[in-house]
Amino acid sequence: MLDYILRRVLLLVPVFLAVSVIIFLILHLIPGDPVDNLLRVGSNAEARARIEAKYGLDRPLVVQYGIWLANLVQGDLGSSIITRRPVSTMIAQVLPNSLMLGGFALLFSTIFGVIFGVIAATWRDRWPDQMLMGGVLLGSTLPSFWLGLLLILTFSVQLGWFPVSGARGWESLVLPVLTIGLGGMALVARVTRVAMVEAAGRDFVLLLHAKGLSPTHIRLRHVLRHAMIPVVTILALRIGWVLGGAVTVEYVFARPGLGLTLIKALAQHDYPVVQACLLMLAIAVMLGTLLGDILQALMDPRVRSALT
Amino acid sequence: MRATRTDRSNDHTNDTDNNQQREFDKMFMMVKKHLLAASVSVTALLPIGAMAQEAVFVLGTNEVGIPSYNLLTAVNTNSVYPMIYDNLVAQDDDLSFHPYLAESWEEAPDGMSWVFHLKSGVTFHNGKPFTSADVAKFIEMFRSTESSYMVDAIASVETPDDLTVKFNMKNPDPNILYNLASSFMGIPDPDAVTALGDDYGITEAVGTGPFKLESFTLGQETVVVRNDDYAWGSSLSANQGPAKLARITFREIPEDSTAFLELKSGGVDALLALPTDYLAEIATDATLAVAKIPGQEVYYMPINVTKEPFTDIRVRQAAALAINQPEILANVFSNYGAVANNFLISALPESKIDPALTISYDAAKSNALLDEAGWTMGADGIREKDGQKLSVSLWTQNDSIFRRLTEVVQAELKAVGFDAQIQTFDSSTIRDQYKTGEHQLAVRSYFWNNADIVDWFFGADRLGYPNVSMFNDPKAEELRTKAMTGSKTSEERVANFTAYHEYVTSQFPYAPIYQPEQNMAFNKDRLDMPTEINGTSITGVVMVDVGVKE
Repeated sequence: MLDYILRRVLLLVPVFLAVSVIIFLILHLIPGDPVDNLLRVGSNAEARARIEAKYGLDRPLVVQYGIWLANLVQGDLGSSIITRRPVSTMIAQVLPNSLMLGGFALLFSTIFGVIFGVIAATWRDRWPDQMLMGGVLLGSTLPSFWLGLLLILTFSVQLGWFPVSGARGWESLVLPVLTIGLGGMALVARVTRVAMVEAAGRDFVLLLHAKGLSPTHIRLRHVLRHAMIPVVTILALRIGWVLGGAVTVEYVFARPGLGLTLIKALAQHDYPVVQACLLMLAIAVMLGTLLGDILQALMDPRVRSALT
Repeated sequence: MRATRTDRSNDHTNDTDNNQQREFDKMFMMVKKHLLAASVSVTALLPIGAMAQEAVFVLGTNEVGIPSYNLLTAVNTNSVYPMIYDNLVAQDDDLSFHPYLAESWEEAPDGMSWVFHLKSGVTFHNGKPFTSADVAKFIEMFRSTESSYMVDAIASVETPDDLTVKFNMKNPDPNILYNLASSFMGIPDPDAVTALGDDYGITEAVGTGPFKLESFTLGQETVVVRNDDYAWGSSLSANQGPAKLARITFREIPEDSTAFLELKSGGVDALLALPTDYLAEIATDATLAVAKIPGQEVYYMPINVTKEPFTDIRVRQAAALAINQPEILANVFSNYGAVANNFLISALPESKIDPALTISYDAAKSNALLDEAGWTMGADGIREKDGQKLSVSLWTQNDSIFRRLTEVVQAELKAVGFDAQIQTFDSSTIRDQYKTGEHQLAVRSYFWNNADIVDWFFGADRLGYPNVSMFNDPKAEELRTKAMTGSKTSEERVANFTAYHEYVTSQFPYAPIYQPEQNMAFNKDRLDMPTEINGTSITGVVMVDVGVKE
């Protein structure tokens, strides 16, 4: 097992390199010369050369990439052009906010998604199933920024239960978590339902019934366990998605986080910050996948045995 | 002056083409219209933090994300800066200058020196007395900032005594008062800046302003508390003593519908910048009111003078005269704000050019000019010349207000026989696109309240962007040099800039469209706003007069 984890981690290295190349190149693929945005208009060629030298832009692309990567590996993400602070400090400041929001949203999606999935599968094609799946369809198709505004209108403006925006205390976390979590919940509920239905049709379930176990016991102890495998995969993939998907939600709810930092940096042409934010999101996706694979191996003996 | 405007393009008071923020703001526009319509019955809620003498303000969406309150490293400033720092001089909404930290000043007749007499008894937030030595140190420190052009004309600073500062000039610069009044030149304690290093402006900021920095959370909020020693308010404020408010929280909310809902639900007391779209909504709410802030923005249509058919001045004039400013004001902007007939906001004296040269809608003349230039009306309503259609490109950025406005402009151009094809660009990349010089017409806007903006947008050394019109005219260059560096006194500068502005306008490198007003919105049950705002925005000068209703 340890061997497997090690191999999976090592596999991340080439993926990470590929991702870093793409993120590095973004700076060079965006229309317009980044130096133009750093230069005062009307500056002479000398000033341009100075800026290019300062950011190492006068060297060959490969060398630039090498330097950038070397710094990156040492945890040096460069300095922000606008704020003039180390990018790593900026990221460290906002990341806890994003992680907290993402974490709670994921937790919410998991718990309610699985519960609703199980309910829907149990009463398959009857009214609880149809009602839940209808609601789930709605939840998964609503754009999150719109949902966010709707929730604000209902719970903050009309009912006054939660603050409209900000990041002060747990009250201000409820609506953003709901906004992000509802979409994920819909997905998890659907996957759980399908997986449960599929697993319930297997032979071993028939055997369990024949053994006289109670249907509830079979459903929760055996069928659900099987059904959890695809659910875990989906959830793991969502880790990165939740962080990235929080962009609009952070925007609507005025919560500082990775997404807001990214948007602001894009608008200000603050490339080191853009690169760092994208890198964080990419790493989140990579780690999510890794976590998913490991969990799957832990949960499923068949995967484990295939490893050896 | 060269340095100037990169700052300008990043600064919040500046260039709207930098309003990338808008793109995000506006994508919710449709949605929020419906949402707000649905929220008719809003239950009255108790304001959060409804304690006496405390208020919560929301900064404008383009002010979100200020990295620190250190103006020596700042690329952009926000509305909290003038709460913490006082300037030597204050500027009123009619753009006149008034005493602030300087009680009075004298300018040498040849413009080669300025003497400022400082108020006595002024102290910094840390208790240190404010003297001429601080001004001298500050000016020297300012030379290494992004905005150093503001003090370029100052050769040296003398301090004959503690309360007198003398600037010896390299060349006359009547604009020095404007610079000294800018939010970039509020005076910090130079020693505190040095002592605190990187922490300055984040954990602590020391000025002489009516409020002291209590806490600053990047991207979230800034809390300031009253400076109880304050006794040197500007004569522009009714109250020259300590501010009425004891504590102000400035929150940063990037999405303006969220900010508006905060105001509506009583979560905050005021929005420093209210988008025009909400004015109608505010009018229906008995608890909310609007205070007008002097406008600084102008919408205009640059005309690329190097592209056929606009190399012909008659065609340029025809396009400019086709723009129906009153119709746009009424239909696109619901009569909020005013029409623009030249390049500058009306508050500037340099905007008073010869009325015969101002650009106003005249379809008959526009048609006549096009006929004269040989463009004859075709059967399909598009003019032709030598078998060529009068087809031009019309660029705009993807913010919804620009898209809407550009469609109206397109229709107005069509009415005189232009076939304008709209091309939309992302607002963050359109500037790079202008540098290709491929555009013919465009619709854009800028934020600035000084006549040197004419130099910025029509100077021949900045073709493409910011000189979107690609305007390069020897006579204009001559007038420009005279205006920029050849003025000894303020009067001369006004005259020179008026002449430059007038000449540029007479060449039709642009068509003026509209000048919006700016508004702040506040909860009138909570806040007691002064009836008149004496400042170019909500500065410390204005804020000392703001109170809360008990």
